[in-house]
Amino acid sequence: MTMKLDRRQFLLGTTALAAAAGISPAFAQEALRLIFWGSQARADRTYGVTDLYAKAGGPAIEGEFLAWNDYWPKLATQTAGGNAPDVIQMDYRYIVEYAKRNAIAPLDEFVGGALNLADFDQDQLDGGKVDGKLYGISLGANSVALMVNTVDFEKAGVELPGPNTTYADLTTIGEAFKSKGVGKAVIADGSVSEPMYENWLRQRGKALYTADGKVAFDEADATEWYKLWADLRAAGVCVTPDDQALDTGPLETTMITLGKAAVIPSNSNQLVAFQAINKDKITIANFPRIATDAPGGHYRKPSMFFSIGGTSAQKEAAAKFLSFFVNDQDASKVLGVERGIPCSKAVREALAPTLDEQSQIALNFVANLGPLLGALPPSPPAAAGEIDASLFRTLGQEVGFGAKSPEQAGPELVKGATDILNRAA
Amino acid sequence: MTAPAVEASVPHPGGAVYQSWWSRVWQNHAPGYLFLIPWLIGFLGLTIGPIITSFYLSFTDFDLLTPPEWVGTANYVRMFTADPKFIASMQVTLTFVLFSVPLKLAFALGVALLLNRGMRGLPLYRALFYLPSLLGASVAIAILWRQLFAGDGLVNDFLSVFGIQGPSWISNPRYSLWTLIVLSIWQFGSPMIIFLAGLRQIPQDMYEAASLDGASRWRQFWKITLPLLTPVVFFNAIIQTIEAFKSFTPAFIISAGTGNPINSTLFYTLYLYQEAFGFFRMGYASALAWFLLLLVACFTAFSFLTSKYWVHYDD
Repeated sequence: MTMKLDRRQFLLGTTALAAAAGISPAFAQEALRLIFWGSQARADRTYGVTDLYAKAGGPAIEGEFLAWNDYWPKLATQTAGGNAPDVIQMDYRYIVEYAKRNAIAPLDEFVGGALNLADFDQDQLDGGKVDGKLYGISLGANSVALMVNTVDFEKAGVELPGPNTTYADLTTIGEAFKSKGVGKAVIADGSVSEPMYENWLRQRGKALYTADGKVAFDEADATEWYKLWADLRAAGVCVTPDDQALDTGPLETTMITLGKAAVIPSNSNQLVAFQAINKDKITIANFPRIATDAPGGHYRKPSMFFSIGGTSAQKEAAAKFLSFFVNDQDASKVLGVERGIPCSKAVREALAPTLDEQSQIALNFVANLGPLLGALPPSPPAAAGEIDASLFRTLGQEVGFGAKSPEQAGPELVKGATDILNRAA
Repeated sequence: MTAPAVEASVPHPGGAVYQSWWSRVWQNHAPGYLFLIPWLIGFLGLTIGPIITSFYLSFTDFDLLTPPEWVGTANYVRMFTADPKFIASMQVTLTFVLFSVPLKLAFALGVALLLNRGMRGLPLYRALFYLPSLLGASVAIAILWRQLFAGDGLVNDFLSVFGIQGPSWISNPRYSLWTLIVLSIWQFGSPMIIFLAGLRQIPQDMYEAASLDGASRWRQFWKITLPLLTPVVFFNAIIQTIEAFKSFTPAFIISAGTGNPINSTLFYTLYLYQEAFGFFRMGYASALAWFLLLLVACFTAFSFLTSKYWVHYDD
């Protein structure tokens, strides 16, 4: 009895294998492979566009999506195995590394042909260049931004943060929060937020990294950064280190979603996602200023790119799909501003009236940053991710929990970052 | 089936010398090896192959995107001379092993002794106590632990009944490792089952003789139960120590792969994972892996060497 069953399963299995072997080459000729990171919401939108593309007569697209942390090992493994997808979602942090190793292909030869970038924003185009060649097509512009819980500010009877709100004002807001019994901190502990540190450095006329990939801030900068947050922590303006350590990355564990703070640092395109998981109404604002006469430190950055795999056999077809993705107006209505503000002027104008309120806020925020904007910094060195994950956040926690003083942590940050950069070089 | 046997019994022209062990093995075990082929392919291709490759990679610089580059012993030298995180992660792992293994074994033995008293519904209790081990290394349990020991988690809700305001256990560097040790102790099921089996092996007449001589239960435990159970203790200790060194999932889930707060849950395996898949240093990560293998091997060898002084075999 069991023998029969086994044989039948075996036969079934071999038939399926044979069928798969027979069919798959036919697929490989036609379909494009696409890989991206993101949430289910992003996947739904992305697959909505691939469906549109298939309806418009384009080739089928086999998509695959993963969470950010799982994405990079997977992509690196596929690339190492010579099996990289045709269309690859790429981040500003990794584009140089992938471009320099020919793991993604230069796209200049397709521009004007398969790839239409006629009314593409120049700054977004430049953001996708490495050594003067175009390697990534920006899927949207965004900027760092504060997520602000409006209900808490109403309760405290203070104005929402705006272009002129300074770090010093946070303390005043904190007093209002306490006297009105809001019952939470004003802001998350920004000392462990690399984007917030970068913004603060840019307001001081500094930067995280130089164009040739060296540390661009000094010990005094870093020490003052840790002191700034030590004071906010002592005054109860920012959350306790125990609470901050609960934030492990996903939106669900952020201080605003957990109800520990009214304000957190984030990115403008994430307003939609934050509103989806928060009951209170959320809005966005620029990062706090060090002084109202200092530069704002913001910049419009490409939220992410699409690149084409260096070994792809169908670069031209992939370029056509990219062109559709960023230019087609129906596609843009499916995508919304979930990946940032579209970079094509025509698409933006067609999209704006169809957006819901939160998406409008995000779009207007990025469009109206005006005087707070500065130049796009050079793409960070390859080891920047490691410096953030294994040094910057740990040092911030050590100061937070009192294991180190700001005066110790400042020099350690500079030295540690320099060591990691030297090791990677 | 009979044909090969007949053939084998016919003397080979080459004589007895030619009838080497290989042809004997082949004739006697060929069907066995044939059936083993699928497993052998998996074992060689998916286990031995990668192990040998990782040994080679541990002497290289390899970032997945570019071909490995030979660097000699540089990875090993760096580990011992210039890597504070290696030391930190080693401390975390050793602390974990040193506390979780004895505590877990003591707990497992305690429960096994209770269950061994011939109570009603024993299979049910045994299954219930074993359940956490089945769920043990799962992601779901680690997430549950996160919820239990968070600042506003169940544990603090319980403590607040007694007016105690507990800290956020998992996100405070002082306690975070201990929540993982407690998690490990909670998964005492498999050593408990083995202890139970061991307890059943102890002859009942020894206890009878002891109680006739007036030995108390306590004395019986120390003089009869424990000495006769030492082989089982030894086995459990080795298995659990290896498990503890390899422990990865709970720390990975609870700290979201960071080993934070302040590297307090940066297990050695987690650090290895970060180096490999976070920062793409496959060569260095391979070196870390080989050192772990060596360390576990040394621990096990040491245990075997000392075992003759405290493990009593019943013969």
